[in-house]
Amino acid sequence: MYPIIELGPLNLGSGALLLVIAVFAGHARFERVARQHGGETLERHASRCAPFALAGAAIGARLWYGLFNWDMYSQSPGLFLALRLGDLAWPGALIGGALSGYAYLRLRRTDGAAALLADAAVLALPLAQAIASLGLLLSGEALGAPANLPWAVPLFGVLRHPVALYYLLAALATWGTLAWVARLSPQPGTLAIVYLALQGSALLLLEALRVDALVAGGVRIAQVVGLAMILIALWWKRTQTVPIQ
Amino acid sequence: MISFRTIWDLALVATLLLGSAFIWMTRPTPGAVTTPFVPESAAAQPAPLVGHPAPEFTLPAVDGTQVALSDLRGQVVLINLWATWCPPCRAEMPAIQQAYERFRDRGFIVLAVNQQEDSANIVKYMNDQRLTFPALLDSDARVGAVYQARVLPSSFFVDRRGIIRAVYRGPMSRGMIEGTIEQLVAETP
Repeated sequence: MYPIIELGPLNLGSGALLLVIAVFAGHARFERVARQHGGETLERHASRCAPFALAGAAIGARLWYGLFNWDMYSQSPGLFLALRLGDLAWPGALIGGALSGYAYLRLRRTDGAAALLADAAVLALPLAQAIASLGLLLSGEALGAPANLPWAVPLFGVLRHPVALYYLLAALATWGTLAWVARLSPQPGTLAIVYLALQGSALLLLEALRVDALVAGGVRIAQVVGLAMILIALWWKRTQTVPIQ
Repeated sequence: MISFRTIWDLALVATLLLGSAFIWMTRPTPGAVTTPFVPESAAAQPAPLVGHPAPEFTLPAVDGTQVALSDLRGQVVLINLWATWCPPCRAEMPAIQQAYERFRDRGFIVLAVNQQEDSANIVKYMNDQRLTFPALLDSDARVGAVYQARVLPSSFFVDRRGIIRAVYRGPMSRGMIEGTIEQLVAETP
């Protein structure tokens, strides 16, 4: 566990530092992929849409964290605005980012590009997620359940599931799968749906191994979101299926 | 004949049922976060968790003296990570002060570990609120990182042997504070 990275006189939280790097790397890759897939027009759409999607992601991540830590956040609503990079939740970021990105495109009447942009975004997201997961691994967050496995990592003196490492591997696997599907020249939007299904499965399975997950109604919220993502992907696939006459 | 759509419908329903069952079967058990399963050998390592020795630190107090946690062995210590800009931190301070006055003579001390604020601000706040326990300057948030203070306030009750016995993330009520201290000061070192 290396929660602090020392750079001369600066002590930087490794989780926060890698989160910032992840955002920059993901953003750069998003624009590059957009250019590769749709030329300068799509790249322009991507670079105009990205700040709104990022702002939406940040707001969504904090709202999500605050709502599911309501006992604390309700007593001090100022926490919603506090500059604390630990108090963020990934499902909220994904939902907030997607909604605000789409809202921006609708507002600018450029929502025709939404499917292509979503495809470009999901080709960039796994890179950002992999870097952010490395940050979680270094800072010792995403605390896993105790495990007696050859690859378990010691954290607070107990061998635990390296949940952050699992997320890193899931991001790399998602990346590989999407790159493979992208070569098959699928319909616009297909990559986003494949991402939804893969990311949903990762949340559903991996969150089960966390001991610090956000909980409501006795169950882990991220797992419920994961299941919903899989169902949306399946539903979309169903609507694409032509009925047999 | 079964159409493709029927197959997809069945797949949807099956996923919904299996997924829901999985979520329910893997739901967390209450209290798992604050009191994780700790084997005997593992509990010897310092960690910001119940049952572990409190991670060691030495920090300057606002009056310039150096305070080391290890020097307080034999006393019950409340390590409170806080900041003056944090409303729930401010909310619990009067209750902490009251507990400090009540239990000080029975071997209880508070270390209010401030996160990255200016010493003058802290002194002014402590004087205004008539807080008399030591405030320490964690100016690079190193102790905050070691204690994983992702939430302010975060409070760690350390017993006379130096073992963390209770962890509260978020504000504490008077009852939580005094109940925990009462139990810990009653123990012999």
